[in-house]
Order: sequence, then C-alpha cells, then structure tokens
Amino acid sequence: MKRRNFLSLSALTALAVIAPTQVNAQDYRTTKPSVWTAHTVDDSIKQLYGTATTIEEGVSLSAPDVASNGGAIPVEIQSDIDAKSVAVFQDANPEAAVIVYTVQEGGIVDYSIKMKMKASGTISVIVEGRDGKLYSARKTLDVAIGGCDP
Amino acid sequence: MKVKAKLKNGIVNVKCQAQHEMMPYDAAQKKTGNRENANFITRITATVNGKTVFEVSTSQFLSKNPILKFKFKGADVGDKVEMTWIDRKGNTKSSSTRIK
Repeated sequence: MKRRNFLSLSALTALAVIAPTQVNAQDYRTTKPSVWTAHTVDDSIKQLYGTATTIEEGVSLSAPDVASNGGAIPVEIQSDIDAKSVAVFQDANPEAAVIVYTVQEGGIVDYSIKMKMKASGTISVIVEGRDGKLYSARKTLDVAIGGCDP
Repeated sequence: MKVKAKLKNGIVNVKCQAQHEMMPYDAAQKKTGNRENANFITRITATVNGKTVFEVSTSQFLSKNPILKFKFKGADVGDKVEMTWIDRKGNTKSSSTRIK
C-alpha cells in the first residue's frame, strides 16, 4: 500500500513538472498524425482543421514563378490576421503537408522557409484566425529540377 | 544549428539554419531500400526568458539544411534566444544566441 501511494505521488509530481512547458505548446505531429500522411491538400486541411472551406484573402504568399532548384524553394508568408496557426501544403509531393506553425502570443505572421518540391505544382497556405475562420492563399509555380530525389 | 537574432524597431528578427539531411521517405526507399530509414526534423521551438516565442511542426519537405526566418515582439537586446530541434529518430540539438 505504501509503495502504491509513493508511486502515485511521483506520478503527480512528474505531471506537475511537465505541465508548465506544455501550456501554449501544440505538437501537431503527435496530436494530429493523420495530417502528415494525407496525400491530397484538401484531405490534409480537413484532417487538421475539420473543414477545407477557406476564405481567399488577407494572406500574402510569395514564391518564385519558376524555381530552378526544386530542392530549396524560398517561400515567404505574411499576414495581418490575428492568427492561431499557419499551415503550408503543396500538391507535387507524395504527402501534402509541409509545415504547421503555432503562432505564439506576441508572434508575428511573417515567416520564411525553404522547401522541396518534386515537380511543378501549387503551394497553399492556410491561416487559422482566432475568430475560427480559415484564410488562404495559393501560388502555382514551375519547378525546373525536382528536389525530392537524393 | 546556427541562430542569429537582431532587434529592429521593437521586433526581433531571427534567422536560423539547422544542419540536417532531411531525408524523405522516397529517398530513403531509393537509397537504403527501407522507407523507415527516412529521417527529418519534426519540430522546432524557440524560447526567450523561458517563454515560447516560436513553435513549428515540420515534415520531410523542408530543404536539406533548412533555413527558417521568423519575427516576434517582447524581447530586448541581450536576451537569450534558445532554439531546439528534434528529428524523427529522436535526436535533438539546441543552440542559443543573444539578441543584438
């Protein structure tokens, strides 16, 4: 009985130690594993947000019209929307999801990444506002040399 | 991981580059014959003064040695930015820098 008490106590303290670091944390890889295995953009958005209906405004997405190197395509995302999360998808690779940002308090939606695309396709950015609506921007580009092969 | 942070008009601009091969499933299949050998960064976080300012879940489609840029408010010159990544195999690496 004593041992059992001790065990439950240590479990409680372990929880208390872990809890503070997870307050504003959202690990989409463990909470929403199906997002990362979805093959189409719409399916992936549905897995992440529950719906694929978006409003096409308020988000600026910039990427080159022709990417000479599909292994490192520069992509910039900007928005003034009070956002909860930002997600980037594309339709050229086997799976759709690229990256999901959790916007922190005091965070600014102004991100820049380098991503890979196997072939020409469309990049989609979804911004989830704190008002619960989804805003999006799309950009179709040509990829000269695919970037997914080793 | 290389990290640079600079304060400009009250906004901290951070630029970082993680040293990672970011091997997708298809490349792993081609190179090693097993999809499960794929390895890529799955999560990157940044904290300043114990507060998380940046957090992202990533997939295999970031470039090799990916470069990320982001901005945030609420920190000062001299504050320490600590960045950590973790990959699919559980390897993790941290780096820190002071805001200039």
